[in-house]
Amino acid sequence: MTAPLLEVENLRTRFHTPDGVVRAVDGISFTVREGEIVGLVGESGAGKSVAGASLLRLVEDPGRIVGGEVTFKGETLVGFPDGRAEAGDGSGDDADDRWRDDVLSAEAIRRRIRGREIAIIFQDPMESLNPVFTVGGQLREFIELNRGLTQGRARELAVDMLREVGIPEAEDRYDDYPHEFSGGMRQRVLIAMALACEPSLVIADEPTTALDVTVEGQILELVADLQAKYDTSFLWITHDMGVVAEICDRVNVMYLGEIVEQADVDDLFYDTSHPYTEALLDSIPRPDRPVDELDPIAGIMPEAIEPPDGCRFHTRCPDARAVCTEINPDCRPLDDAGRPHRAACLKHESVFGAGYRESDPIENEAAGGFDVGRTEEGTDD
Amino acid sequence: MNIYRYALRRLLQAVPVVLGIVTITFLLSNAIPGDPVQIMLGPSPSQAEVEAIRARYGLDQPLYVRYVNYLAGLLQGDLGRSIYYGVPVLQKIQERLPATLLLIVSSFGFAIATAVPLGVVSAKRRNDPTDHVARVVSLVGVSTPSFWIGLMMILVFVYHLGWFPATNLVMPWAPPSALPAAETRVDVLLASAHHLFLPTVSLGTLQMAAITRIERSAMLETLSEEYVRLARAYGVSERTILRKHAFRNAQLPVITILGLQITTAIGGAVLTETVFQINGMGTLIVDSIARLDYPTIMGTTVVYGLVFVLGVVVTDISYAYVDPRVTYGEAE
Ligand code: SF4
Repeated sequence: MTAPLLEVENLRTRFHTPDGVVRAVDGISFTVREGEIVGLVGESGAGKSVAGASLLRLVEDPGRIVGGEVTFKGETLVGFPDGRAEAGDGSGDDADDRWRDDVLSAEAIRRRIRGREIAIIFQDPMESLNPVFTVGGQLREFIELNRGLTQGRARELAVDMLREVGIPEAEDRYDDYPHEFSGGMRQRVLIAMALACEPSLVIADEPTTALDVTVEGQILELVADLQAKYDTSFLWITHDMGVVAEICDRVNVMYLGEIVEQADVDDLFYDTSHPYTEALLDSIPRPDRPVDELDPIAGIMPEAIEPPDGCRFHTRCPDARAVCTEINPDCRPLDDAGRPHRAACLKHESVFGAGYRESDPIENEAAGGFDVGRTEEGTDD
Repeated sequence: MNIYRYALRRLLQAVPVVLGIVTITFLLSNAIPGDPVQIMLGPSPSQAEVEAIRARYGLDQPLYVRYVNYLAGLLQGDLGRSIYYGVPVLQKIQERLPATLLLIVSSFGFAIATAVPLGVVSAKRRNDPTDHVARVVSLVGVSTPSFWIGLMMILVFVYHLGWFPATNLVMPWAPPSALPAAETRVDVLLASAHHLFLPTVSLGTLQMAAITRIERSAMLETLSEEYVRLARAYGVSERTILRKHAFRNAQLPVITILGLQITTAIGGAVLTETVFQINGMGTLIVDSIARLDYPTIMGTTVVYGLVFVLGVVVTDISYAYVDPRVTYGEAE
């Protein structure tokens, strides 16, 4: 097994809004190894995108990383001095004195990590490209910046990459503007952008959500091919278990800022160990499912301000019992067989020993039937 | 379609607008109450005198004949003859227009040069003291009448401090012989700028304030766009984001406002010229209206109409230049 490329330990990111503190990411830990595609799955509002942004220290006001540690290729991207983890000193993530001494400075993150080592693909290909600059020009700019190439070389490489991601007549399309590309083509451009910088890790933040199913399929295929070719690792953020099944090696399932299940993709599907994961699997999209366009950050706000006591899922969990309202289970390994399968659910009595079996079932929203797609994502059919 | 053909097309499209302006101007001037002939000839002219004058200015003919004649004249660059000055209106306008254009152009230059950086900095330092100062300045700027600013500046800088001359403009290309020590070109330019400064600030403040506000809000909007996040995620520096990635998009609403400000500036110039006693178009219009000098009223209005239409066309072209999504009207 290869060494972890990215290690995230107990990462916590909060938004200080007028309505209260939103714990968007509340102590998550996971790793990404070289050449792996790791999924980060959950509904809109689970904190997946904020988690992705936190890795690059891209969290925007009023959000702040308040705790935890992120290491990437032996360098510390996030880390707090002892006892100052909750550092409520009001300075933003840019203020270098917030961080422990061995943490990369904001400037170093910008120059050495962003794009160059960790590239990102955003959800909405329509909004991610600047409408007043040519597609080729934008691609060239990022290549120039992150690969230290001359303009001419960067241009050649940009054309090559456009060709590689399947843009027909790449040479001619170089000077076209984003509005002259379809959504799928723009997403290809964004993939080209990410890979052209030759990063070790690509954070793909719901990159296919805004696309229709056929195009989504093509993009997933393309990514799988390119991943095999460049051996780039991916952190694939999505709410779609279908995509997870197709592309991921390992999966982290997130609910309200926490990771509730962590497993290899096969284990996750065939030995599902958390009721929330089960619910997600039941909601695997049908081909006629409409495109989900919710803003992930907007969706967080109402829920993560006051997460329920006990297990955060107990208000919607079909298996919830009285004990679940009192104890919030952490994500524990389920057996000693060496399988990296973890779950945060009291049902696993042998692991948690919290008295789940004797506890009484409770009434909650799950009684009327559970529909993930409907409850939070608003993807009405 | 390239941008030149687009420009040509927009110019051709402006022709009916200009025709409309001419027609409305013509009809309105003929609807002004009062008889110019009476003003020219005093209280009790003889019938023969009145008729002679009417014939001379074509006032004895029916309205539509005069309209057609006027249009025909326009096509040959003939705006008629001023009743009061007794010279061709065109000549009068040629005398007066340069001063006004100089004033308007320099006030726009002043406004853009100050407002764009101010708006950008204000957006960048949102809610910092710099931002608050910029916002107060622009609020005061849009709410203060330009003539008042002009009068106050005259009071302070001309009478109290004596830093600037109070009246008249010096055209850089035609220095008056009376100008002391205006020997070299540089001297003339300096003298010109010296005279131009107060009127420019007085007229330009409103534009400056309006542009600052738009620039700030447009920059704030583009700075929160996804493509700016993307640029940041690829390690582009904040400085480059501000100057390149966010800036260009943010200029679109600014260009629109600039186009609209042309009318405001033309109106403001009338007052500014009065306050600073500049012999420009503004004073020409005011005097002509007071004297019921129809041909001059019409001529100046038509010329202003042209200036405005040209301004709008230039605005459209700049917009198309900045925003590649403008299709140059091919699909219409
Ligand atoms: S701990 Fe209880 S509420 Fe939470 S997922 Fe497990 S069964 Fe459901």
